[in-house]
Amino acid sequence: MDLFPQFLANGLVMGVFYALSALGLTLIFGLMRVVNFAHGEFYMLGGVSGWFVTNHLGLDFFSGLIVVAASMAAVGWLVDRFLIERVRGQGEEPGILLTIGLSIFLVNGTLLLVGPAPMKVAGAVAEGPLFFGPVAVTKLRLLAVAVGIALIVGAHLLIRRTRLGAAMRATFQDPMAASLAGIRTGHVYAATFALGCTLAALSGMLLASIYSAQASVGGLISLKSFVVVILGGMGSFAGAIAGGLLLGVAEAMWGGYVSMGMVDVIGFVLVILILLFRPQGLFSIRTERA
Amino acid sequence: MTLERNILLALLAGAALLPFAVSDQYILHLAIMALFYAVLATSLNLVVGYVGEFSLGHTAFLGTGAYTAALLSTQAGLPMWITIPLAGLVSAVFGFAIGAITLRLQGPYFVIVTLSFAEVLRIVANNWIAVTNGPMGLAGVGQNLFGDMAVTDKAGFFLIVLGIAAVALYLSYRFVYSNAGRAAVAVRENRFVAQSIGVDPFGTAMQAFVLGAFLAGLAGGFYAHYISFVGPEVFRFSFMATMIIMVLLGGKGTLIGPLAGAVIVTVLEEYLREMQELRLTLFGLIVMAIVLFLPNGLMGFIALRREQQAPRPTLNAAKERTV
Repeated sequence: MDLFPQFLANGLVMGVFYALSALGLTLIFGLMRVVNFAHGEFYMLGGVSGWFVTNHLGLDFFSGLIVVAASMAAVGWLVDRFLIERVRGQGEEPGILLTIGLSIFLVNGTLLLVGPAPMKVAGAVAEGPLFFGPVAVTKLRLLAVAVGIALIVGAHLLIRRTRLGAAMRATFQDPMAASLAGIRTGHVYAATFALGCTLAALSGMLLASIYSAQASVGGLISLKSFVVVILGGMGSFAGAIAGGLLLGVAEAMWGGYVSMGMVDVIGFVLVILILLFRPQGLFSIRTERA
Repeated sequence: MTLERNILLALLAGAALLPFAVSDQYILHLAIMALFYAVLATSLNLVVGYVGEFSLGHTAFLGTGAYTAALLSTQAGLPMWITIPLAGLVSAVFGFAIGAITLRLQGPYFVIVTLSFAEVLRIVANNWIAVTNGPMGLAGVGQNLFGDMAVTDKAGFFLIVLGIAAVALYLSYRFVYSNAGRAAVAVRENRFVAQSIGVDPFGTAMQAFVLGAFLAGLAGGFYAHYISFVGPEVFRFSFMATMIIMVLLGGKGTLIGPLAGAVIVTVLEEYLREMQELRLTLFGLIVMAIVLFLPNGLMGFIALRREQQAPRPTLNAAKERTV
């Protein structure tokens, strides 16, 4: 029992990154209705490019973070304008296939360029534990979590307080009315996709500073992000955060008390149960049924 | 309908002659893999093309079939003629159980939950070491067809997989042109209209789903014996991606499309193999190009060309062109 606070802390740390990545997906999947199987690859690209800018270009962690954010936003924008836009409004299938193709391309392109070895992003502070009573957390983790939380707050303010955010909300309520009101919906879609992409990439880079980035990690991350989005409810901002924390804690508890090997099963079992018993998601107010 | 049937019969007859005309083991191996994928693509097509729901969990049935056959063979020493049909049946039972849960869902939810089931099975296969031997997999699956009569050459395996493919196509053909198959298409086109004329969407979808699971299980059972090894990789998403690409490249909702897709993708993968790491990168690009430029697959493209060349453009052709 004395390990409980430690497991809880570890779970919450992981949960913040799940939440950050799922926040990106809830924009793309929940609002734009693109079943984006390349989401984990954007996460992976964030980690790999974070490694590249900190280790090869010699930037420090924070300027690296900004460079990665800017370049992944550009990537997301281009992907939406050149690929996703062409299949918009044709149902889910073309989008699923397109993003599966994109994810195969990105994984193997990355493998071709940097190889399969794990890549460590240079962290901003030294490794070293801090003790809060019985709980030990490394400084690096604490910093990464702080940055993650700041990013979540930033994304929230962007959506709630800016003109772009207002345009996004209008577009996803009614694209036709929004475009009649003079909103350039094409740009709004691209900006939303870019934002989702950036959030995934930054989550990847932060986590790569704690663990390491690997070209092949994307598939599992995509699935877990989908799990979190469904747990929290489609397109729900608070739901994605709560779902991410829930998944992180559930995995840490399962890994701590039951078995390490089956940890990844938790998310899938949760999502199957959720869709059976509460298909609108745990935290969704809108009654959108599966 | 008759054209489709005659083409299928001609293809099967032509394929049956292949092992007598070709003795090159490498080409025969390619042909076996193409037929194996053809069975898989046909079974996936029943769900994707006729029910119209996008299942990403089809590897669950492939893997269940493969593990069933491998366990029956390594533990009980049963020959292929028993293990492969049993593999199909066990997969069909799994299909029924999974279908009972997932077919209540639609759209993206169905996609994610089917995928979740496949992942759960993969992780279980990876960790339930007592039965599945974990990541080491089950090696040394027997290759005897009846009793002690072992299949030793590729030509034998080719004829077996051809038999399975013939069964798969026959069952699919009978299903697609039965009342249940037509009902499934009605649900695919418009769920509410279908319901209003008395079609039960859940029931018809279930029939297609279980049949698809059965056929995928057969393919999995064959795979276990042919490769002689089964590991958790059979549940991997890459198998799923290959299957989907075959169905969509060929054209979903047709019986010939997935066959064409299976042959093209198998040959293409083999041809690109010479380029080593570039292979899958190019593969990804090709997939994106298909989605953007050939949205209805090859069969859709051929149908469109035929309609365009017809002397007077019908309403249908005009509609197709705008799609």
